Amino acid sequence: MKSLIRSLSVLGLCLLWAAPAFADLNVATSLTDLASVAQLVGGGHVKAQSLCRGYEDPHFVPAKPSLMKAIQHADVYVSSGLELDIGWLPLVLPGSRNPKIQPGTKGFVDASEGVNVLEKPRGTVNRAEGDVHPLGNPHYYGDPKALEVVADHLARVFSDLDPANAADYAANAKAFDAKMDASLAKWEAMLAPYKGTAIVPYHKNFIYFADRFGLKLFGTVEPKPGIPPSPRQINDLVESMKKAGVKVVVYQPYYNAEACRQVAKRAGGVAVEVPLEVGGLPHTDDVFSKFDVMVSSIADALAGTTGGK
Amino acid sequence: MRAFKLLCLSAVLACVPAISIAQTRSIYSNLANPAIGMNALFSGTAARNLDQPYGLQFDEAEISLISVVDPYWTFTSNIVFASDGVDPEEVWARSTNIPSIQLKVGKLRGTFGKHGLLHTHAFPFIQAPIIMGNTIGEEGFKDAGLEAAWLTPLPWYSELTAGMYQAMEVSDENPLDFGSMRHDNVPFLVHFKNLLDLNDETTLDLGQSYLQGRGSDGGIHSAAGADVTVRNVPLRNSNSRGWILQGEYIQKGATTGGSYRKEQNGWYGSFQYRLSQLWWTGIRVEQARDSFTDFLVDGAGDPIAGRINRGSVNVAWVPSEFSFVRLEYSHAVAKAAGLEPDDDRILLEMSYTIGFHPAHAY
Repeated sequence: MKSLIRSLSVLGLCLLWAAPAFADLNVATSLTDLASVAQLVGGGHVKAQSLCRGYEDPHFVPAKPSLMKAIQHADVYVSSGLELDIGWLPLVLPGSRNPKIQPGTKGFVDASEGVNVLEKPRGTVNRAEGDVHPLGNPHYYGDPKALEVVADHLARVFSDLDPANAADYAANAKAFDAKMDASLAKWEAMLAPYKGTAIVPYHKNFIYFADRFGLKLFGTVEPKPGIPPSPRQINDLVESMKKAGVKVVVYQPYYNAEACRQVAKRAGGVAVEVPLEVGGLPHTDDVFSKFDVMVSSIADALAGTTGGK
Repeated sequence: MRAFKLLCLSAVLACVPAISIAQTRSIYSNLANPAIGMNALFSGTAARNLDQPYGLQFDEAEISLISVVDPYWTFTSNIVFASDGVDPEEVWARSTNIPSIQLKVGKLRGTFGKHGLLHTHAFPFIQAPIIMGNTIGEEGFKDAGLEAAWLTPLPWYSELTAGMYQAMEVSDENPLDFGSMRHDNVPFLVHFKNLLDLNDETTLDLGQSYLQGRGSDGGIHSAAGADVTVRNVPLRNSNSRGWILQGEYIQKGATTGGSYRKEQNGWYGSFQYRLSQLWWTGIRVEQARDSFTDFLVDGAGDPIAGRINRGSVNVAWVPSEFSFVRLEYSHAVAKAAGLEPDDDRILLEMSYTIGFHPAHAY
């Protein structure tokens, strides 16, 4: 009898531990940047978490059942949209058995809505071009202004679901936009000397950042999205970088650092690890600090190779 | 005649706008069409014990259609076309509106064990474990029915599934005898799965399964299984590194005259290792007892039951998420009725997928 009581007590404690954390809105997201924006807009009324870590490739998140468990009681799910999470979200969302966040409900948010989407494919899309995104490039969170669109969108969603705190959400979104605009002016000034300079990312995920700050992109280390480079393709890239005088390769923590370093070294330049997502590298705890690190890393690399700054 | 030709031409020209309107203003819409995907499998086997010519053969093509039905249901179907016919392998609807519970209705792949949940092109080895084909079916237990899976409130992923199915006779694909015509013959399943994150990169998955129905002999027939999987996916290299250590035991039996009799039973243990973004390798050992396999036959060529031990190794080249080529070698030794035949075979498999294909279950 004593052992039965002990077992029931343990089970009860487990159930208490499993109870959803207290907040007006429990928000889950596909990306750390979206969780960061959601937290800043939601303030104390929101508890936001991202299923993908900042140092994890958002294309290839393992659809672990623990992710389903993590969103079992979420009030809002913020998808990156543009099919960035299509490889794993179609398993995780239904697996959560949470009717509040299924597509088509108020609790499901496509964060790309309203964003000015770049690189929308024209004509027929096929996988001979690699793992292309047929709705356009989904890495819009590399543009600070795109995150303002996301913040305003989330403020409207949170207000709709939690009208009692609507004024706070609107005020927080406004403050977010103002802080982002002020920060953007600072970041633009840091990169202004390098306008028109070309860099080589590992993957086609830098177009929004480059477009915002006036940098040029010079191909990618991987020959096609999702396809690893062969030695011959690396040779070709190195030769074309030498001819064009391109010196800086940028990559994220989840990409092939060795290939990037090899390309940069042989082209006489540098490879720099840059966080595209919040939490990708140390000191990138929110979207502002992420851009601080991104901009300063790239500015330093360009200064070192161009002699500028 | 010339006037007639002019008349015909005028009639055709008069119809052109109408044809154009018909093409652009259809009363039908394809906006809600399902996501469509197709996978095709081809393979070749070289084995001295098999009485068949060597060469590449078409195994199957699987068409999948997935869509939302309405605010309450989604729909999934996998129709398999093979050289021996068409099999509506899975055609089911899934609820989306019941908190913590997932209801599946239709022709299902029953939630039994670990290997039994896999589609053929997702098998980690070209050959299914021998014990599968001797207990619940080489491709798992597939039957019409209803399943409810409850995600319990425990802090880790803990899922309890209960299912009930249609009575079904023994066949090549279904070794379980659930063929009683009695009204109370409603085969049922219970599955309990617990998955714990040991750390950010490694998970421990434990499963227990039980399936029971009444056989054509009036007795209770059942299958029971237990599985354990430890899986590692490094977060910084989720697309190029990782490993899976897995083991599963399955036992089939029958209760007649009040006593339980163990029939076929066995296990496998496998280790898969991802060498890079493009390469996987794996090794598997297995044993099936009181079981049948294609090279264990008597003097007349009829299959006989015995103990079979088999080891397999393979290597797979996976250039993208949508295709792979796999090479496998296996060596097996059987023992039954004074016979001890052995078997060596080399297999090659190619898989190609087009269209929409969601990730396989973790």
